[in-house]
Amino acid sequence: MAYQRVIAQRRVRMRRTTLVLLATATLCWAAAARADETCNSPYMTKLIKGQEDYVHVWTIGVEGLGDGSDKLVTIDANPKSKQYGKVIHTVAVTGRGEPHHMGFTDDRRYLWAGRLDDSKIFVFDVGTNPAQPKLVRTISDLPQRSGYLGPHTFYALPGRMLVQGLSNANDRGGVTGMTVYNNKGEFVAKYDMPTADIGGVKGDGYGYDLAINPAKNVLLTSSFTGIDNYMRDLGDLVKDGAAMKRFGNTMVAWDLKSMKPQKIFAVPGAPLEIRWSLKPGANWAITATALTSKLWLVKQDSGGVWQAKEVATIGDPAKIPLPVDISITADAKGLWVNTFMDGTTRYFDLSNPEAPRETYTKNTGKQVNMISQSWDGKRVYITSSLLARWDKKGADDEQFLRAFKWDGKALTPAFEVDFYKEKLGRAHHMKFSAKPAG
Amino acid sequence: MRLLAFALVVWSFAALAANDQVPGAPRMEFVPPAPGTYTLPVIQRTPNGKVLDSSGFAHALSRYTIGRITLLSFIYTYCTDPVGCPLAYDTFVTVRSRLLERPDLAWRVRLVSLSIDPTHDTPQMMRAYAGKYLEADKGLGWHFLTTPSMKALTYILDAFGQDVAVEVDERGRPTRAINHMLKVFLLDQHGGVREIYSSEFLFPEVVLNDIKTLLIEEGVRVD
Repeated sequence: MAYQRVIAQRRVRMRRTTLVLLATATLCWAAAARADETCNSPYMTKLIKGQEDYVHVWTIGVEGLGDGSDKLVTIDANPKSKQYGKVIHTVAVTGRGEPHHMGFTDDRRYLWAGRLDDSKIFVFDVGTNPAQPKLVRTISDLPQRSGYLGPHTFYALPGRMLVQGLSNANDRGGVTGMTVYNNKGEFVAKYDMPTADIGGVKGDGYGYDLAINPAKNVLLTSSFTGIDNYMRDLGDLVKDGAAMKRFGNTMVAWDLKSMKPQKIFAVPGAPLEIRWSLKPGANWAITATALTSKLWLVKQDSGGVWQAKEVATIGDPAKIPLPVDISITADAKGLWVNTFMDGTTRYFDLSNPEAPRETYTKNTGKQVNMISQSWDGKRVYITSSLLARWDKKGADDEQFLRAFKWDGKALTPAFEVDFYKEKLGRAHHMKFSAKPAG
Repeated sequence: MRLLAFALVVWSFAALAANDQVPGAPRMEFVPPAPGTYTLPVIQRTPNGKVLDSSGFAHALSRYTIGRITLLSFIYTYCTDPVGCPLAYDTFVTVRSRLLERPDLAWRVRLVSLSIDPTHDTPQMMRAYAGKYLEADKGLGWHFLTTPSMKALTYILDAFGQDVAVEVDERGRPTRAINHMLKVFLLDQHGGVREIYSSEFLFPEVVLNDIKTLLIEEGVRVD
């Protein structure tokens, strides 16, 4: 209705519109952004190239802490606001189900947030008033519709959402697949991760992240582990040799249009987050392997064939620093890497993606997981929780969102929210939003 | 003044469309899969609603969404963003041209451009916007539609999932810019949405292959 009202008002003004104004100011805005704040779907609109106003944190509820429920926490991130650095809103959802990642719809009006344990997907309206997200839909039919469990990555396609699963309802292992829902939350299709031999490498059927290069018609996927592993206490898990073998060791290049796997790459050690270079015409993506602590490059060779190769080491792999989240700069010249176990944030010079160089290292917490940067790279946000049963215990179990300023040389603290002190829970994935223009 | 202004926009718009590549449009750096080698699942159903044709006659929207394979986009006639409406227009022109090379397929397809600003885009304006494309060729029609009211329009937009907002200036006053993410909808003959293209993936070659894929599904030979 707002559109009706505004366009009616505008009609009056249009009568006074001059030819000059018409020639210079008539713009319709489409999906102008090649990508969003460096890690979102290239199909998403409303890129925030300036100052973000809010950071939304998908938070794992902790029994006995506050209301104990999982919740979407909204924090004011605009330095000009009187509430800068403060929690300004929370939306609790029913119970606890291992909140993990989130993704905006193509029009950035809705934020989809998944839970890895009960496989529920919560849809929040963040377009109407991003300062006060509102739960508008809960999708509970993923296991029934697809047989998959653990909705992990939410990646906008035009009019729909591509969801990467982590596990399956049959044996609760790592064999899984992708589902597509339309923006109304209706199931559209499912696609199994490959288990056959394609290009000389046998698929393990595992899944974790996915990312698309539209100009190349390529969808890349990575691989992690099943629900029996990721919902198990980490201390117990690492002592179970058989269970530790059940981690993904592959990436897959798909034909996006047909949603058919074209090539499987052997990438040992659980390749996790995938980030495409955002430069127009670029033909490479990068990922980090959690268990082997390496950076891997996926790139077209001179013949146009996609290849994957190890290009750098992250910390000392023998100490298992556990690289978790990565964040690529908008110009693709730098990459942030968080290593969970040693609580370290590292910056790699990606000027030559064939040979990344670690140029900056800072301890940013007792445990650090997600890392997100603004489009201009001047602000970096870090959260602490990996998985409820993988987080550290006792005094090392810090739970926070920490905001930093980055001047190209050093991270300087900007503000911090202590999620335990605020009785919120474990801070996991972050997404930015901005007040509507005008 | 209004028609003069409109003429200026149409002129610049035509100049854009005349180029081989719309400025800022994505380049296709791949060979798309062949028609019929993949499937296009039903994404959503199309709504009904009320529209006006370019002669001002009222019709049910279903007249333009059922019975043929349909390529539909939401536009406004004075939009000049190269990767917005002009890109859709340019793509439609190319798809139309390619389909006309195959009269046996062309008559099974229709093109629809539906305005998102009925306060400006009257049937008369849509007719002017359509120009030479108003007349069907080899059974292939390109329909330039508007709606009888904002209420009728918003019902259709909401049902399709087309986000639209009027841009406001620094004082909060509405401007002439309409923010809308370009979406082009491919519908099967039953009105099911089978593909949605944004400017990131709006390649005529892909659209043609998708149309042929739907025709193959209907048992039509496309080779």
